[in-house]
Amino acid sequence: MELDFSPLLDSWGYLLGGLGITVLLAVLTVLCSIVLGMALSIGRIYGSAWLRIPIVFYIDTQRAIPVFVVLVWIYFAVPILTGWNFHPFWAALVALTLNASAYAAEIVRAGIESIRPGQVRAGLALGMSRAQIVRQVLLPQALVRMLPSFGSLLTHTIKDTAIAAVIAVPELMKRAETVVGQSYRPIEVFTTIMFVYFIILYPGSRLIERLYQRVAHLGRS
Amino acid sequence: MSADDPMLTSHQRRGADLPPVVVYEEVRKLFGDFVALDGVSIQVNQGEVMCLIGPSGSGKSTLLRCTNALEVVSSGRVIFEGKPLPSNETEARKIRQRMGMVFQNFELFPHKSTLDNVAIGPITVLGMKEGDARARAMKLLDKVGLTDKAGSFPSSLSGGQQQRVAIARALAMEPDVMLFDEPTSALDPETIGEVLNVMKQLAEEGMTMIVVTHEMTFARRVANWVVVFDHGKVVEQGPPEQIFDAPTCDRTRDFLGHLGWNG
Ligand SMILES: Nc1ncnc2c1ncn2[C@@H]1O[C@H](COP(=O)(O)OP(=O)(O)O)[C@@H](O)[C@H]1O
Ligand SMILES: [Mg+2]
Repeated sequence: MELDFSPLLDSWGYLLGGLGITVLLAVLTVLCSIVLGMALSIGRIYGSAWLRIPIVFYIDTQRAIPVFVVLVWIYFAVPILTGWNFHPFWAALVALTLNASAYAAEIVRAGIESIRPGQVRAGLALGMSRAQIVRQVLLPQALVRMLPSFGSLLTHTIKDTAIAAVIAVPELMKRAETVVGQSYRPIEVFTTIMFVYFIILYPGSRLIERLYQRVAHLGRS
Repeated sequence: MSADDPMLTSHQRRGADLPPVVVYEEVRKLFGDFVALDGVSIQVNQGEVMCLIGPSGSGKSTLLRCTNALEVVSSGRVIFEGKPLPSNETEARKIRQRMGMVFQNFELFPHKSTLDNVAIGPITVLGMKEGDARARAMKLLDKVGLTDKAGSFPSSLSGGQQQRVAIARALAMEPDVMLFDEPTSALDPETIGEVLNVMKQLAEEGMTMIVVTHEMTFARRVANWVVVFDHGKVVEQGPPEQIFDAPTCDRTRDFLGHLGWNG
């Protein structure tokens, strides 16, 4: 069998653009999920039962449904139900965020709950309100402690973005399929794409671990 | 006049001519059906250093937490500056601002510099301008001898240094009374002295202090009044000369004996 990598050389700019969209989608997803996850976890920890029950329901269902199904549902079913048409990129962002924020909420909750009660007591003893304690004492420390978990959430999300190919978001996987469609070179193209994912994700995880080691003391009470 | 002036402590309780700062009236505290405090009635006078001693689990920390409304009493009353502690949270917060608290494990905020740990109370709670709060914080760091550590994070300080920062943090709110919960119990022996010296200096300046401690030498020399706890009850109270040199109660003698105190 002969290997021919020339289709990759011809369309590297096109594929690189796809990689850009993959990273953009993943980073936006994680940022939105962190914000949403913080809100959900604070509601879950400090909210009344009226708030807590739907939040727990949301988190549990999102963790039980494959993100692929959520994506397809949002892209194909929501327009029929509501008449709104999503651009594929936004549909993918919404689906991935709905899913990832459930995980983010659990990460934030574990982070907040891992901080010992003495820290809350110290804040209260100064006369701080619960809200001030959450914002100024708990969340900053929890965020530091959560860094490794958010790192793996980002890794998972970058991998999950590949499913957006199914609704024609022009990310790395979709563009690889296009190149294969034109060149009939699946082995060369898909093998290379596999390497690209690995080369991005592997050092990425290491980098986050390093960063964490440097700031870990800021979250160690 | 020094805090351990025997003339003062043996003949008249310090601050007896002034209205008391804190009064506990028949305070009971239950956790489920466990009785942590079983009818405690004591009073803390203005400018007085009151030491609470007694075996572990006897309710000393619980009493401190009932003092600044971190715990709500099950029955009885805690009266601060003439008024019973409020039961609503917003009012309780105002009371806590006027009481400083120092913990066994320091509980500094690890993500803030030493200076910001001291300034956080005035900034967040009193709404003071950051510049003014930092200036106040710097003066207090000077008082506890740690100006050179202003920019350091708690993780790089020794236990004794962290506890001095924690004292400065509490003082930054300019409290009327300071509550200490075993402030030296988590420290290496060589750093205990520096913390006790800061506390002694505070006492000499006339700060009203309630101190839970196992440092009997400190209690003997600095306290004006000593209260002995056991099983949620006050078993004996009096000036340190009485408690340490002539305890009237067997439990006090047993407890002091356990600690190896022999006068
Ligand atoms: N939040 C709580 N819930 C249940 N039991 C508690 C709680 N806080 C304290 N206790 C119990 O109350 C007793 C007195 O505790 P504490 O005041 O901490 O004693 P001390 O400070 O004298 O060692 C202990 O037996 C402790 O287990
Ligand atoms: Mg205790």
